[in-house]
Amino acid sequence: MTQENRSGRPQGRPPEGDSRLTWTEVQLRGPFLLFFVSAVIWLLAASVLGVIAALQQGSLVAGPFRDCEILTYGHVAAAQRNLFVYGWGFNAFFALNLWLLSQLGRFEFRNGWIATLGGAVWNLALTYGVIQIFAGNQTGFGLLEFPREVGPVLAVAFLLAGFWPIVAFARRPTGHTFASQWFVVGASFAFPLTYLLAQLLVLWQPASGVVQAIAHSWFVSNLLLLWFGASALAAVYYFLPKVLGRTITGYYLAPVAFWTFFLFASWTGPSALIGSPVPLWLQSVGVVAGAMLIVPVIITAINFHGTLSSEGGWSRAWNDTTLRFVSFGAIAFTLFGVLNAVFGFRGPNAVVRFTSFAAGQEQLLVYAFATMVLFGSAYFVLPRLTGSLWPSAKLVHVHFWATALGAVASVVALLVGGFESGKQLADASVSFQQVAKGGSSWNVALSVSAVLLLVGHVAFALNAFGMILKSSAPASAGRHD
Amino acid sequence: MKNLNTLLAGIFLAVALPFGALVISSQVQLGSLGRAPAEEGGPLFPSREPGLAIQGRAVYVSLGCVSCHTQQVRPTGQGSDIARGYGARPSVARDYSQQKLVLLGDRRIGPDLANYGARAKTLDAVHAAIQHNGQYVFLYTGVKNDVASERAVALAAYLQSLRQDYSSPEAKLKK
Repeated sequence: MTQENRSGRPQGRPPEGDSRLTWTEVQLRGPFLLFFVSAVIWLLAASVLGVIAALQQGSLVAGPFRDCEILTYGHVAAAQRNLFVYGWGFNAFFALNLWLLSQLGRFEFRNGWIATLGGAVWNLALTYGVIQIFAGNQTGFGLLEFPREVGPVLAVAFLLAGFWPIVAFARRPTGHTFASQWFVVGASFAFPLTYLLAQLLVLWQPASGVVQAIAHSWFVSNLLLLWFGASALAAVYYFLPKVLGRTITGYYLAPVAFWTFFLFASWTGPSALIGSPVPLWLQSVGVVAGAMLIVPVIITAINFHGTLSSEGGWSRAWNDTTLRFVSFGAIAFTLFGVLNAVFGFRGPNAVVRFTSFAAGQEQLLVYAFATMVLFGSAYFVLPRLTGSLWPSAKLVHVHFWATALGAVASVVALLVGGFESGKQLADASVSFQQVAKGGSSWNVALSVSAVLLLVGHVAFALNAFGMILKSSAPASAGRHD
Repeated sequence: MKNLNTLLAGIFLAVALPFGALVISSQVQLGSLGRAPAEEGGPLFPSREPGLAIQGRAVYVSLGCVSCHTQQVRPTGQGSDIARGYGARPSVARDYSQQKLVLLGDRRIGPDLANYGARAKTLDAVHAAIQHNGQYVFLYTGVKNDVASERAVALAAYLQSLRQDYSSPEAKLKK
């Protein structure tokens, strides 16, 4: 079903791009590469910390850096999570969202130095915050651990670096819009709003008592769903039809997916507080919103898997590097939505509460979905922007298999390990120590997966940096104009 | 979907309404909670935090203890917290009303600490627990690591101050 719109191009399919580097892309190159390179450096740092944290978590007594104050688990785990989210996730989506909306809106990107300045400030503030965490200066609230003076700086840096997609949307010459544009605009607008309000009520003017925990849960769900989730959904909506060269199945449902996603996501926060000393009505709102979130999940599943299922789409996706990563991510998102709905309910939630299960759900969303989609996007965008090819096909294979296996292993270890220990914990006659012992094999799996992810990321970094260095040779400047 | 203003207005509402309904309204509902007697004329609970405990909480936060320890007891039927001896009754919002910084936590790599002060038998037991079999010995000096540093003293005082073993208007202890 190809409905033609006024501009004569089928809906459910992004416009055909010119294969040559456009003027816009020449302008984009500088800020894009700054965001991308810093993202990958943070990703490597986070993966090293991830290995340390996994080993420490497995054995508090015999783990690495025992009795070393700077590298206690409480520091390493917090630094790892923040570096992954604010270092890798944000920088990478700054780059990708900017590129996506410039492409879709034919945006003439001027004043790129503002984005570059924003990126520099963002990364400096991040460095300072992580050093402070290791120095023992953290706040105690997950993903808001940076000392509070970092917050306003990050917010300003976000406005300089991450607000461009909205400008691109406002300035676009064509009237028609595409699903990716809505999701990116939503993510770029929802995050700074959420971040400022959460900073205010959690760190600067703390709310009283448990309201701090409520504001914090609202912040975390918004960050994960409305920044990571929405940004990555935008990328899937773009790359699937773009690379396969066909329209999205059931594209007319996409606006419903967009609005229901944004409508319900921000209410799901309290579902992380079931059984906690917060009002019952609040917990119920979280449960209901979590269940309602299944609506956009089902629609995106129809859109993505439907598109992939027709005319040998799956095998074509498997043979294309970009789509191999992107479809992996699309499957992970569907899985995340189903788990999120089922384990939001009180009964199942009581079993897995306080175990590694929630970490597994987060890993499913931010790694198996968002990060894999980001990798796939990099394979599409970077060759265009640098004008050169990926140096090593072998490293691409290492990258895919190491990250795919590592993602599956870590998610399974956290989810199944969490569920099993939760079932044992429900029986009060089994002591806490016994449960911890029973989970040790899952901790081994977790450590192995952390090493796999590190290997994959090193392969990716070598390949990407090799390519960027090759292309920055002086001869290539302006070659495509 | 073509109009940026409509799009931004919709997204603003999608974020701001939950903020108002979830966060602001619970501040209205819970913000005025304070110390209260379980029965008329009874003693006021929760107790005010001792100064040393407030310093100890700074140590607790600084070391990231919250990444492995929760401070909340769920009601019967929601897990085995009470049967496990983490508390005599479920935690209620009032228990946290005297705390400037509330560290509910969301992961139990170690046991829950909401009621640790009531559970710990002696001060020596608290210090032994802080050392975690040699993981946090840097908080101690002396040949046998038996001399607590100021930070360890404060942390122990904080842990001992964590108790929810009193009756509260919302959750009475069973007699």
